[in-house]
Order: sequence, then structure tokens, then C-alpha cells
Amino acid sequence: MKIKLRLYGSSKILSNKDILNIQLPNNSNIESVRDILSKIISEKKLKDSLDNLPKTAAFFSEKDEIVNDNYKLKDKEFISIIPPIGGG
Amino acid sequence: MSLHTALVKIGEKKISSEKAKNFIFAEKNGAETIFVGRVRSNNSGKKVNAVTYDAHDKAVIKSFQSICINAKNTFDKNANIFLEHAKGYVPVGEISILIAVGSGHRDEAFKICRYILEEIKHQSPIWKKEHYAEGKEEWLPGHSLRPKEDIK
Repeated sequence: MKIKLRLYGSSKILSNKDILNIQLPNNSNIESVRDILSKIISEKKLKDSLDNLPKTAAFFSEKDEIVNDNYKLKDKEFISIIPPIGGG
Repeated sequence: MSLHTALVKIGEKKISSEKAKNFIFAEKNGAETIFVGRVRSNNSGKKVNAVTYDAHDKAVIKSFQSICINAKNTFDKNANIFLEHAKGYVPVGEISILIAVGSGHRDEAFKICRYILEEIKHQSPIWKKEHYAEGKEEWLPGHSLRPKEDIK
């Protein structure tokens, strides 16, 4: 299945677009997204800037609510990655 | 209306302290506090030219509303609150955040202003990328919204 990951903050280093398309096995959850992100960061040699992102990021569902690692993803679902925040 | 919150796309609009002062004014209020945050010209020994603010717009506005309502319920239900935060590319010296509070008394006005600022840093999905004079740029570290017990 495929999901769309909307990028915010430091995660925008992953792509020159605002959305990253990710291919996952069926019935994947947020934990699977963290694993895929680690692989992408390693492949793109972005460990210097994004090494902690997979473990420190939160994720929002389409309802803009934080979801936990057991949250089951649906095919074509949009989720948002929320890296550590720092406004103000 | 005693509450105004907004994300302001810099380049299209400006954050205005005059607008804030007009909004919070009320004859019943004896105290006004205004906090203005600006982009500063240096950070950790690096010369900064500007900061780009990124935001999850819907979640930010939801968090602003929730934070301000909590502040009113905690300190002064009758307070007037004006809160605007910049989004986009903000040059050094420009306003990044403005919090204005009109309240019955000074203690509540100070407390509400401080409370809102600290809660934004811990709740509102906003990110900063600094642009340095040397030409490099860097996303700044921040506060994780993932529950601490889940971070191994």
C-alpha cells in the first residue's frame, strides 16, 4: 500500500516537495513509517541532520490528531510528520 | 469578542502592535501587557540574516485557541487576548510573535502573557529555520510532541 507523508520543519530536508510518497506492506502502522524513515535517512546520507527524527517525531492523522505507533494505516492515507517543535 | 489568534504570512501581511493595542483595550481593564518577539541577529555565535517559520496551520490555530482559553480560565475570564505568530521568511528585526493581554490587574496580565508564550513553545507545531550570513541554513532543535516514555 501507499501513504502520503506531509512534511514539516526539519523533515523537509527529505524531499524538495512538501509530500513524500511511501510504499509500505499492507496493514502497516506508524512504527513501520519510523523504520522506513530511518532507511531513507541512511540512504540519502542525512544522518548528520536527521538522525534523531524517526524516534523523536510525532505523527498526525488526517484529523490532525497525534496517533501512536500502533495506529493502523490505510491505503492512500495522508499523515503528517511533526518533528520536535520550536515556535515563539 | 475577547480573543484573537492568527498565523500571519509575512510578505502578505504584517504583525501590528497598534492593531493589538486597539483589540485589547477596554475601560474595565487596568492593566495591559504586550510581548513582542523579534528575529535576532545572532544565535550560538552565528550571524543570522533571517528565520523561516514553518507551521501546521490548522493544528497551530487549534492550539492557540486552546492555550488562550486555558489562560483565561486560569487567570482572568474577562481578559482580552491578541496573539499573532509569523509564518514564512522573517528578516532580522521583524516581529515573529506578538502577545497582547488586557486584564483587570497587572499580576494576571503578566501571568497570562508568560503562560501563553511558554505553552506555545510546548504545544504549537511551529518550526524555525535559521538563515546565516555565511550562506548556510539550519532547522533548529525543539520539543518533541511524542510521549517521552515512547522515545527509546
